[in-house]
Order: sequence, then structure tokens, then C-alpha cells
Amino acid sequence: MEPPTRSPDSDFAGRKVLIVDDDRLNIRILSGILKSEGYVIAETNSGEGALALYPTFKPNLILLDVMMSGINGYETCREIKRVYGNDSAPIVFITAKNEADDVVEGLAAGGADYLAKPFQRKEVVARIRTHLRSQMLAEQQKLLVEQLSKANASKNRFLGMAAHDLRNPLASIRGLAEFLRDGVVGPLAPDQLDLINTIHTASQSMLRMVNELLDVATIESGELKVLPANHNFCELIEKCVYLANIDAAKKNTHIDFVRPPNAPTAWIDAAKMQQVVDNLLNNAVKYSPPGSKITAEYRWNTSEFSFGVKDQGPGIPEGERDKLFKDFGRLSVQPTGGEKSTGLGLAICRKIVDAHHGTIVAENLAAGGCEFRVTLPFHL
Amino acid sequence: MNFSGSILLVDDEAHIRKYVSLILKQLGAPTVVEASNGEEAIVAYQKAKPDLVLLDISMPLMNGLETLKKLKALDPNSVVVMLTSMVNRQSIDEALAHGASNYIRKDTPKEEIAKAIRETLDGQFQ
Repeated sequence: MEPPTRSPDSDFAGRKVLIVDDDRLNIRILSGILKSEGYVIAETNSGEGALALYPTFKPNLILLDVMMSGINGYETCREIKRVYGNDSAPIVFITAKNEADDVVEGLAAGGADYLAKPFQRKEVVARIRTHLRSQMLAEQQKLLVEQLSKANASKNRFLGMAAHDLRNPLASIRGLAEFLRDGVVGPLAPDQLDLINTIHTASQSMLRMVNELLDVATIESGELKVLPANHNFCELIEKCVYLANIDAAKKNTHIDFVRPPNAPTAWIDAAKMQQVVDNLLNNAVKYSPPGSKITAEYRWNTSEFSFGVKDQGPGIPEGERDKLFKDFGRLSVQPTGGEKSTGLGLAICRKIVDAHHGTIVAENLAAGGCEFRVTLPFHL
Repeated sequence: MNFSGSILLVDDEAHIRKYVSLILKQLGAPTVVEASNGEEAIVAYQKAKPDLVLLDISMPLMNGLETLKKLKALDPNSVVVMLTSMVNRQSIDEALAHGASNYIRKDTPKEEIAKAIRETLDGQFQ
């Protein structure tokens, strides 16, 4: 017997190979080669034997003869693939040289490769190593994906917990600042009022950011539930426009919205869609230069309805479009009034719209500025 | 609001109690009794016999749901409104199923908190 071409590869030593062949001589040759490489070997002379040995031996690789009495190699291969699925050990067929048809049928049955007789030691070793390596990589990858998704779930739990615990104190700070501002506990001097207003604005914006983080944690952990009912979407838009116009007025902009008559009711989760409408309106206000105009619009046809917001802001920089609806996808454009953002708002919008089976798109307008449009089907 | 009874406010966070009791004061509620946990709430309920209980859902030791069940066992006619900061509707639905009259999210603007309390009282004590 030839000496080993190299010392046993420690990565693969101890890996288990099942040899299935009804020719004792073949088994002896293969077994000799593989044992010298440090593999653990089990042998059987039939397909039935292979199926019986598989669950207890749990091989990492199978060398499988094609022509055997009883069920042949292809049948055995198909059965193993059927029972153990994609996680089953790779199967390498043993074929006579130049049997192209055997090779094709073997691969079609789910085989990973083939070895032609008579065996070349170097070829046997190299091919088996290749398949064991890719099998090990697949195992490692699977493990890594599992670990990553666990880490991601912990991140979401942490995010949710942190945001949740921050929210109550923030709500108190904001509310108590409002009581002070409103003079409930006595009148304030102008500079005291100024400080209180700063506390109020800061806590308000922190509360919004914390809520966005909490939304993302909820959505990412798969807990976003849409509870749709019949709602007057048009009326909802009108209310949101009214509120957003308070902030718009501070920046000397205005949102125009002409409520169309006879708008049909829509099957939506009103609270969630209000979040989308608020977000699009607030974004338009945030990025609009003073003195510019914002136009909101609601329209519908027989199958779908849509809500659009056009502004005269800087538009979406080319090359940053793909970031727009992604988590933390803040663009290079700056809010015109120094407003804060988490970069989560549009990502949340997209997820809410997705949950309504709708679409959200953004386009730059020829005249400058951009338009965001949400389109939802009438029936989910 | 023509309401002259007392209100029991239960929350483990002192700043929330301070905040909400200011809202109640502005609403014109004459007597606000505070409790910082479920056990205290049960004792205070028996002593003060309040017309309305504002009850936090997530509290250590005895949470809002447990407290709600005990209050309802004690007095099936008790009027309980849950205070919540939760996004998940499950615990809210559970509280409503166990006899809570309404729920209020603590992070909504104070005008809305006041409105929800007023509506509950108007509905109960017209």
C-alpha cells in the first residue's frame, strides 16, 4: 500500500464516512485509503444496509455504489434525500469509468459527485475532502445564522425594553413641563418660560424618537399587527394636516389639502395609517424651506386609494434613494429647522404600508422638491 | 364635570402619580388617593371606596391585571381605567375582558388623558 500523501488533515480526522458497495475488494481499497486519512469508517454491502445504518452511524459523507442487488444506488440516494432532506450527508457515487449516463443519473438523484473505478488514491482523498469541507462550511454557516438571529432578537428585546422604560419618565417630563408652562402652579417670568419651553420641546422630540425605536423593535420581532376596520381615511388626513400645519406655520410654510367630496371609506388600521400620514407630512415640513408650499392629496379609483405629499424642498439626492426606506437610513439633506430624526420614520412607514399590502414610493419632481405617495388596495 | 367623588391613582412610578394627579386636579377632582402598588391599592380601595380607579398595568409584585381581578372580586361595580405604556394590545384586551372600563396610554398628550378620564366619569356618573 502507498504511504499517505500527506499527514491526516486534522480538520477532517474523526469525520464519518459510510462505504456502500457489494464488492468486498472495493470496500477494502476505499477503507484503507480513508482510514489512513483519519476518517471513521462504516461499511455495508447493500442499499438496505445503508438505510439501516444511516440513523445510528450518522455519516458525514456516503460513498455509494450504483449497481447492487436489492435496491440500487440511485434508489438508496433518493430515499436518503427523501427522509433526511437537504441536511443529509453528501453522497458520492462509485461508478465504472466512462459511464456518462451513470454520472448524470446519479447527480439527478441528488448525488454530490462521483468516483470512477479504478480508484486513484489522490483523487479519492481530494474529492472527499472537498465535499467534507463544503459540508462543514454549510454547518458553520447555519450555526452562524442561528447565532446572528438570536443576537438580533436580543437586540430587539433590549431596544424594546430600553425604549419602553424611557418612555414613561419622558411622558412625565413633557407633561409636567406643560403644567409649568401653562402657569398651573403660578406665573413664570419670560426667561423661566423660555427654559420650560426648551425642556418641553426636547422631551417631546425624545419621546418621538423613543417611540420610533420601540416601533422598530416591535416590527422587527414580528409583532406588528394590523387591525383594520372601515375608516374615513380622508377625514383622518384632514386632521393630520390640521395638526401638521401648526408646526408648518412656525416655519412659514403651509400644507394645502382640499378634501375631495364623497370619498369612500377605507379598510385600514387607523392608528397605524395615521402614523404614516403624520410622518410624511412632518417630513415635508421638516425639509421645506421657509415660504414654500406643501400639497397633500387624496385620490382613489375602483380598486385602490392613495395619499400623496408634494413639497418644494431639496428633493432626494441621486444615489441615496436606496437608503430612503431603510432603518437608520438618514440622507445627506438637512432639516431646515434643525429638527432631530432617528432615520427610522420612513422605514416604519414602509413596514406599516407593507402590512396593508400597499406601496410607498418617492419621486423627485421636475419643478424641484419631491413627492411621497402611499397607495393601498381597497381590499386587503 | 359634575363629579364630586374620589379617585384612586395606582402607579409604581412617583413621577407618573404626580403628573396624573395634576391632570385630575385640573379636571376638578376633589380627592385623589395615591397607591404605589397593587397591595396598597386594595387596602386604599376598601378604605376610600373611590368612584374611579386609575390602575397601571405593569407594576412589580402584583401587576395591574392581578390587582384588577382582586378589585373586581371585592367590588364588581368598581370602575377601573387602566394606565398603560404598552404597545402590545394583549394585556389591554385582557384587562378589558376582566372588567376594565377603558385604558389610557400614558404617553399621549395630557389633554387626551384628561379627555379619556372625563369621558369615563361622564359615562358612569351622569
